[in-house]
Amino acid sequence: MTSAPGLAPTVDVVHETSVGRVGPGADLPDLRVGLGEPLRVALLVGRAQPDLAAARAIALAACVDPVLTLRGDARVTLVERATALREARPDAVLFIGSAQDADRMTDLAEALRLGCASRRPAPLVLVAADERMRSRLDPALAGLTLETVPEAGSTQARDAIVSRLRGMRRSHGELVLRDEAIESAARALAAATGRSTLVVDASGQTSSLALATAGAPTIGLHAHVGLGVSADRVVARAGIERVRRWMPRAIDGPALLDRIFNRARWPDAVAANPTTLALELALARESLAHVLAEAERAGVATAPLRAAQHIVCTGDLARFPRAQQTVLAAVDALAPESMHVVLRERPDALVAAGAIASRGGSEVLSAVEPLAMIAAMWPRRSASVTVIDASGTIEERVARGAFFLVPTRGAVELRIAPSAERPSASGLALGVVIDARGRPLALPPRDAERIPALARWYTALDVLPSEPA
Amino acid sequence: MTWRYDEWKAAHDLPVGVSERAPLGQQVRAGDVIATGTTYGAPVRVAGARHIGVAPRDLGRVMRVSVGAEVKKGMVVARTGRRFARAVSSPIDGRIAHVRGDGDIEIAPIVDRWTVRSTLDGRVTESTESTVTVEGSAWCLQAVAAFGPDAIGELALAVGTAGEEIVPSRVDVTQRGRILVAGGRSGAEAIARAHACGVAAVVAGAVPAAGLRAVFGDATTAHGAPSQTDLPTVLCLLGFGSAQLPLSLFAPFRDLASARAAIHTASARLFVFAAAGAVAIPMPSSVALHAEWGAVRPLDGPVTMADETRFASERSTRAVMTSEGPVPAANVIALAASR
Repeated sequence: MTSAPGLAPTVDVVHETSVGRVGPGADLPDLRVGLGEPLRVALLVGRAQPDLAAARAIALAACVDPVLTLRGDARVTLVERATALREARPDAVLFIGSAQDADRMTDLAEALRLGCASRRPAPLVLVAADERMRSRLDPALAGLTLETVPEAGSTQARDAIVSRLRGMRRSHGELVLRDEAIESAARALAAATGRSTLVVDASGQTSSLALATAGAPTIGLHAHVGLGVSADRVVARAGIERVRRWMPRAIDGPALLDRIFNRARWPDAVAANPTTLALELALARESLAHVLAEAERAGVATAPLRAAQHIVCTGDLARFPRAQQTVLAAVDALAPESMHVVLRERPDALVAAGAIASRGGSEVLSAVEPLAMIAAMWPRRSASVTVIDASGTIEERVARGAFFLVPTRGAVELRIAPSAERPSASGLALGVVIDARGRPLALPPRDAERIPALARWYTALDVLPSEPA
Repeated sequence: MTWRYDEWKAAHDLPVGVSERAPLGQQVRAGDVIATGTTYGAPVRVAGARHIGVAPRDLGRVMRVSVGAEVKKGMVVARTGRRFARAVSSPIDGRIAHVRGDGDIEIAPIVDRWTVRSTLDGRVTESTESTVTVEGSAWCLQAVAAFGPDAIGELALAVGTAGEEIVPSRVDVTQRGRILVAGGRSGAEAIARAHACGVAAVVAGAVPAAGLRAVFGDATTAHGAPSQTDLPTVLCLLGFGSAQLPLSLFAPFRDLASARAAIHTASARLFVFAAAGAVAIPMPSSVALHAEWGAVRPLDGPVTMADETRFASERSTRAVMTSEGPVPAANVIALAASR
């Protein structure tokens, strides 16, 4: 840090093309938060499922773009593999395999040499394997730059590989990667509040989930899907229907696709009307759902993420005009199953504070504002919910399918019979959201049923402004 | 995103199986073959170094044919010794595709042949087994995205006005080999018909994204899909859905009609080979994203900047005042700006 003692550091947070400044500085910033250089990574893994899961988990944690995954057991010829690798144009290749896969891993290495050795610059090859395997791979990878990284079996080893990959993305020393800043912010918030904290970031290019719990390593999951220039990737990976199902108005798939493609090629475009705003909300939900789905594919347990006591929204997810929009998108995407407090960062403030925290101490609590307490439930029969706040006591009967907001003032305590739990929060901008829609959140497939259901939820939280005449 | 005459660079990716490629410094014209090669079938692995009893690193010394050479069934590929000779012979007709690190040889049958053509008039500045790069001067129009293989042909206007949409019935075989300028919009039907009629490429202000996915597959994204397979070539100049081309983009097409042109899909660029003074480029204007994001429209009339404006979405941001009302400033792009 270059700031003089006592002065708040200035941090620039890079968005799609614009930059948001946090701090008092008018000249060069002390730190810059961005995504760094895009890193295309090919994952070459052995037969064992844990190897594949480890490779995926590393790609998710390092926020790289996994352009190709090749497995040792696939019935694919050397030429087909070489062609796939050449077309994928990876910047780095990660080998993960065990000794019993030596022959198959050597086949993958030969395909890599055939496909990519002539490229300039050639991809960097990271080999996470034991000594025996490495000695087998050496001749097959002649002409390529090899780097040995720890075997991916342990958390520490994976962290080391993630650090190496992040190092490749970092173009200069002053750059703090956005994913690092988010993880750092989660740790700092968890330490400051003593609660398990999930930072949920949905921005134009990436979507992230970072869980910090006292006494446990931080779980960071990041993917190149988002609600801006990566919006088209959401459709490519999840399908247009997954996005369309969240639209509270009738809109056909092709028309929606045009809008998403245009948004993807229009950096920092602003949603000027409620329909495009609803599209951003839909993209935010599906981007985060995609990160969760990828985490499950990578063998990362998602239950602790959903169980976090504090859910803190950052990035574009925190910048929706109404706090209700942030809350609804986060709740729909994560489908939390108990009591949680949803917070959001003040514009770029938490990401900037996380960047500072990654280099030293930082005060993070002032960077967030609490929005709502979420009470997710699935009562057998009509249940009684009591909300006590500065205005008094409100009692509500909750039936299955209910979804509503109880506005509150000051300190809030929630009582749900027969549970003895008394979750509390204070200074909520909205109040308590009772969510008895059930899990997993099921949306009717037909427009005629789905749109009224969505409209009910939107109305319950007063999410969207009315369309202009 | 506007017309510019300059020095450009076009990198042409080569598939696996290169036979010949243009050497460094060679002068080429757009359409000239800069690399040829073969498409391999499933390769056969033949014991090499271990069969003839040499170390893998010494195999090169005893090989009778080089990597990439074509071989006939039974042909000796490597041989050692004189009186008690040991040899490796090819079990199939094909090419030596690869020599493995352990000294085994991969021989692949030839199932097809391919060529890669230059998309620029100029000089070869890089030539490797995976890329041939050509640098040269041309008129260039940077598009938002390109799909399909590179294309070379004569530029032809298929519409009369900038906002017109090409209809499939206006595409026929007389346009074979041409790069059709399809105006503001081209649907998937027109693209498919153009491909069937042998049209080299379709250039349009916008193409419906669903149509692109129908032609190029569901994995298609807004960032283009360069390929080397037999697919139509499509260049989206402004975006997706529908668009009206600004005059500053459309007018030069009239002057450049019948000129040689090429589309380099990896960089989403249209190159037109005409003299630097052949076209007078109108003052570049701006384009705006439609409020619903489904279309792109030109801002050819007068516009002014406004301060913070609150839109129907309740977002407040700087705006550009147009004849049709305020547009968020971020949703307006000057064509002269890079994108």
